[in-house]
Amino acid sequence: SMAGEEDFFLEEKRFKQYCEDLVKHSQQIGDGWEWRTSKDLGDGYLSKTHFQVRNRHIPPDLKEKNNDNTEQMLFAHVEEPLDDCGAAGAVSTEEVVRYEYHVLYSSSYQVPVLYFRACFLDGKPLTLDEIWGSVHASYQARLQEGPWDTITQQEHPILGQPFFVLHPCRTNEFISAVLRGSQEHHRHTNYVILWLSTVGPVVGLNLPLSYAKLEPEQSTDADL
Amino acid sequence: MTDDKDVLRDVWFGRIPTCFTLYQDEITEREAEPYYLLLPRISYLTLVTDKVKKHFQKVMRQEEVSEIWFEYEGTPLKWHYPIGLLFDLHASNTALPWSITVHFKNFPEKDLLHCHSKDVIEAHFMACIKEADALKHKSQVINEMQKKDHKQLWMGLQNDKFEQFWAINRKLMEYPPEDNGFRYIPFRIYQATTERPFIQKLFRPIASGGQLHTLGDLLKDVCPSAITPEDGEQKTQVMIHGIEPMLETPIQWLSEHMSYPDNFLHIGIIPRPTD
Repeated sequence: SMAGEEDFFLEEKRFKQYCEDLVKHSQQIGDGWEWRTSKDLGDGYLSKTHFQVRNRHIPPDLKEKNNDNTEQMLFAHVEEPLDDCGAAGAVSTEEVVRYEYHVLYSSSYQVPVLYFRACFLDGKPLTLDEIWGSVHASYQARLQEGPWDTITQQEHPILGQPFFVLHPCRTNEFISAVLRGSQEHHRHTNYVILWLSTVGPVVGLNLPLSYAKLEPEQSTDADL
Repeated sequence: MTDDKDVLRDVWFGRIPTCFTLYQDEITEREAEPYYLLLPRISYLTLVTDKVKKHFQKVMRQEEVSEIWFEYEGTPLKWHYPIGLLFDLHASNTALPWSITVHFKNFPEKDLLHCHSKDVIEAHFMACIKEADALKHKSQVINEMQKKDHKQLWMGLQNDKFEQFWAINRKLMEYPPEDNGFRYIPFRIYQATTERPFIQKLFRPIASGGQLHTLGDLLKDVCPSAITPEDGEQKTQVMIHGIEPMLETPIQWLSEHMSYPDNFLHIGIIPRPTD
């Protein structure tokens, strides 16, 4: 679509390029993102898995362990379990939760979509409430104000398994507003990074600040 | 000559005779009789099986009853797919009635979405309608409608009210006079043999030269393996609502007349029976 008052629709080719740039930077800083290509149709998605150790009954702090050497980190940093509280009955147990985040492209809406799920190491999935418990309170408030619909469980379009989806119908509205503003200064803003840095924290996914300073590859410029 | 509107009625009122049997490992206080029901092709399992649930819960203890789920020959049935699609994909070439097994325990978390209330079905149904209109009209028609119109679509489906549903749905089937069809066709192609649940891509109903694209054109573009070369035998059937439409059928016509109530064409590619 043309520049001007129209929205900045994200074409699939451009989406793939932005994801490629994100993965390159992720590899540089060890942030764990990778691109997965489907064998049958050649489309694909961004994927990141991280593990979080948390106390079952006590909300954890925001720190997440997303290093590549996850297992080493887990065993090196397991906190001492708190003592039994005796009569109060509140025992805290250490538990490892595996979080998976996928970014797919929606051709119907021409926007990226965030899929996520979490399970304990035995495979038992977490409910949305249980995932919610690990999100910092200030981000929980953001969900109320954000330009998105509620989180629902949906079938992953490539894997066919249940995931939770943050699928904002109004993504393009707010991203366009930001991009219009940045048009003068940052013509090549990475739409995917911009979007992910906004919606990610709401579901426990953080993007280190160094992503913001990404210089686009030559190929992205050539498309403009 | 059959009127096109008759097709709309035939699609809406299609039924599948089904026999529900309780899974043998469920714990019952007395024997559970099978339950027979005519299922609407265009609806969803969890929307039309309240009577099935009540029937089996009568012979079970409360503590043995958790979220209901359905299975056919070992495959959990996705309630969020229309019933007709599930039947065509899994059982179209088997003898009627369709035999479905009912479970109340060990919900298959990795395969099925949860469905704790009718609100979940409504949300899913409306999300599909909205996505279909994003493809057909850049969401203009659905966004111009009032909330009560959205509600009428859902109530029409829930209460099996053809006229009530189509009073609103006809607006979603219109297009500007200067165009010859929708912007893109809402469709999904399913093959039970693949890991990928369905194929969905952008596809225009009208070619650049103005000709109407056909079902065959769609398949060639999006799923060429469904149409085998002329020298080979056709190993698969292309099925919508239990029939095989001619591949020459304009896809715009199919979209207007044979979509499901969610406004999507759900197309099944199934192995052709060898007998």
